[in-house]
Amino acid sequence: MSVKTILVADDESHILHVVSMKLRNAGFRVVTARDGREAFEMALHEKPDLLITDYHMPELSGLELCQKLKEEPSTSNIPAIMLTARGYQLEPHDTEKSGILCMLSKPFSPRQLLQTVNEVLEKLSTKS
Amino acid sequence: MAAINSQPASQKPAAARKITPVVPEAVLEHLAKQIRPAGICLLLLRPDGSLAWHDHLSGVLYERFLVPALKHTELLANQLRSLVSKLNGQSPIQVWDFVPGAVLCAAPVMDRRHLIGILILAGKREDFSLDEDVLRVCSQIGLDSIWLGQQASHVCAHGPDRLTVGIGLFVTMLSDRLRITGLEEELNSLSTQLANTYEELTLIDTISGGMRVNRSSSDFFRQACLELMQVISVRGMGVVLSNEKIKQEAVLYGDLSLPPGQVQRLAEQLLATLSVKKTCLLINDLKSDKNYKWLGEHAQQLLAVPLQRRDQILGCLFALDKANGSEFDSVDSKLVTSISNESSIYLENAILFGDVHGLMMGLLHSLTSAVDAKDAYTCGHSERVALLSRHLATLVARPDHEVERIYMAGLLHDVGKIGVPETVLQKTGKLTPEEFDQMKKHPEIGARILCDVKQLEDIIPGVLYHHERYDGKGYPTGLAGRDIPLMGRIICLADCFDAMTSNRTYRKALPLEVALTEIRRCSGTQFDPELAEAFLSIPTDQFRSLLRDHQQQAKKLLELQETLRSA
Repeated sequence: MSVKTILVADDESHILHVVSMKLRNAGFRVVTARDGREAFEMALHEKPDLLITDYHMPELSGLELCQKLKEEPSTSNIPAIMLTARGYQLEPHDTEKSGILCMLSKPFSPRQLLQTVNEVLEKLSTKS
Repeated sequence: MAAINSQPASQKPAAARKITPVVPEAVLEHLAKQIRPAGICLLLLRPDGSLAWHDHLSGVLYERFLVPALKHTELLANQLRSLVSKLNGQSPIQVWDFVPGAVLCAAPVMDRRHLIGILILAGKREDFSLDEDVLRVCSQIGLDSIWLGQQASHVCAHGPDRLTVGIGLFVTMLSDRLRITGLEEELNSLSTQLANTYEELTLIDTISGGMRVNRSSSDFFRQACLELMQVISVRGMGVVLSNEKIKQEAVLYGDLSLPPGQVQRLAEQLLATLSVKKTCLLINDLKSDKNYKWLGEHAQQLLAVPLQRRDQILGCLFALDKANGSEFDSVDSKLVTSISNESSIYLENAILFGDVHGLMMGLLHSLTSAVDAKDAYTCGHSERVALLSRHLATLVARPDHEVERIYMAGLLHDVGKIGVPETVLQKTGKLTPEEFDQMKKHPEIGARILCDVKQLEDIIPGVLYHHERYDGKGYPTGLAGRDIPLMGRIICLADCFDAMTSNRTYRKALPLEVALTEIRRCSGTQFDPELAEAFLSIPTDQFRSLLRDHQQQAKKLLELQETLRSA
């Protein structure tokens, strides 16, 4: 099985470090971005298997980022997990419009995040 | 020659953490590649002077020339070491003419204040020529001097100054590289700590979120153990409760299992230890512990924390064996302690809740017994109606908490009969219209009695409307159909059924089958048809077993009443 690439976008560097470390230790390839626009460019360039993004970010919010990626043909299939510090609720149409599969509110358990990532990737691989 | 960096950092187990950092080979390779065209060779020595890394891609010239010459470098290393200690960390650079016309330039590589290696650059000097001295060295080491001369002519020559400047830059670069590696490691360790903190925070949040008192304690502790087991990564996590009010046999979760009876043995011993010690017990080598040696056959490590209220031990949480091979430390014990503190609060609340709930239920039962006692024939009636109502509510899929409230409403549905004269209640003949009016007041009287108890407000509908009929011909309000609260409709059905199947002052009990036919007949007029259908779906033998338990209690009450009457 090839190594999966995960793009992590968050403007808070400690979250970025914690998430990347956890994912790298689990054997994923991790690329990071500090804001929504950088994340968008990285996504176009890297074509990650999964996006983990913060909701509140400069330049582009997490939701806008996901919607933009959805509009782009080459990135429209990238699933996303959203991290949020405020109580943003996932609406049913969000998944369709943005590819966001689930939300985790901060401070989240890194163990749970990893579990979620594995579940999402497994679900996708069985689907395809 | 292959690189001989003895221990590549990435392959080392986490437990054996390196004390001296190693200059990364990749950096040396990179440097060597840059300077190779200039005819400069790169070497790294360990602090003891042995060869640590050697540019194996560099020209055969230097390889053949340098390797024999390395016997000089031990001396060089010693010289450098003494210089390093004298200069206290500042980089001294040594230039060494190791054979005529070839220069060795050496500088220490420092990490903080420690010498971790000696970097050596070797190059050809401008005045290199195949003179007598060189030829002598060549013959000593068995090198073809003509070949050497040819090779040397391809290589640029350098003055010592150039090498000194070069090595200074390289050493700085290497130190920076090392510093970055160190910082990256620091960042990783901070991230790990932060991740653990997040984990603990989420754990405490989950545990306190699950601290509802109406939840069973075994359920609460199961969740606490499973979550905790993941976070501190242990192979077994268990709990034992020893309070007289909330008792639970010792349970052990996880993939570590003990032979039958051993969990209980461990639990009892832990309770005994902790009731004296009062704080956490941490044993990382069970085999050599004099008290817990017996456990050493099955596990290596034990961490146990008491659950206590003030000075009283309520039980304990215990963990066995770290999953990752490490040992229990103060971080683990702190986390388990904070979870045990949370759990103790939960336990204390659960005990208080149990006390208050028990007191209230006791009072309610006394109250209903008092009502039932007014009429020997209705003895145990309230209890049976409550049981039937609860069963019926479960059948129509009401949520658990509502089922319990319906049970309570069933218990209290006739409480208003306290306000009805006994002459009316116990009359054997037909009631006069006035008497019947008095009788019809008991739902309202009941509601009035209960309305002062805030905690029972929600069951008043069950009491007030249990004589309403589905067709609207009931009392006291004449509500019809679904306008009658569900509680009222349920109790109405249970009440009528029990009245029919019990002896009354004016008639004998009807057989069960007759009562059921009557319910079928009145479905839609007196009773909610949906409820009647659910009721009729109960198998007849279930009715009997449902009520059997209470017949005994009823008999006792009847006896008591007889004794009172005769006295």
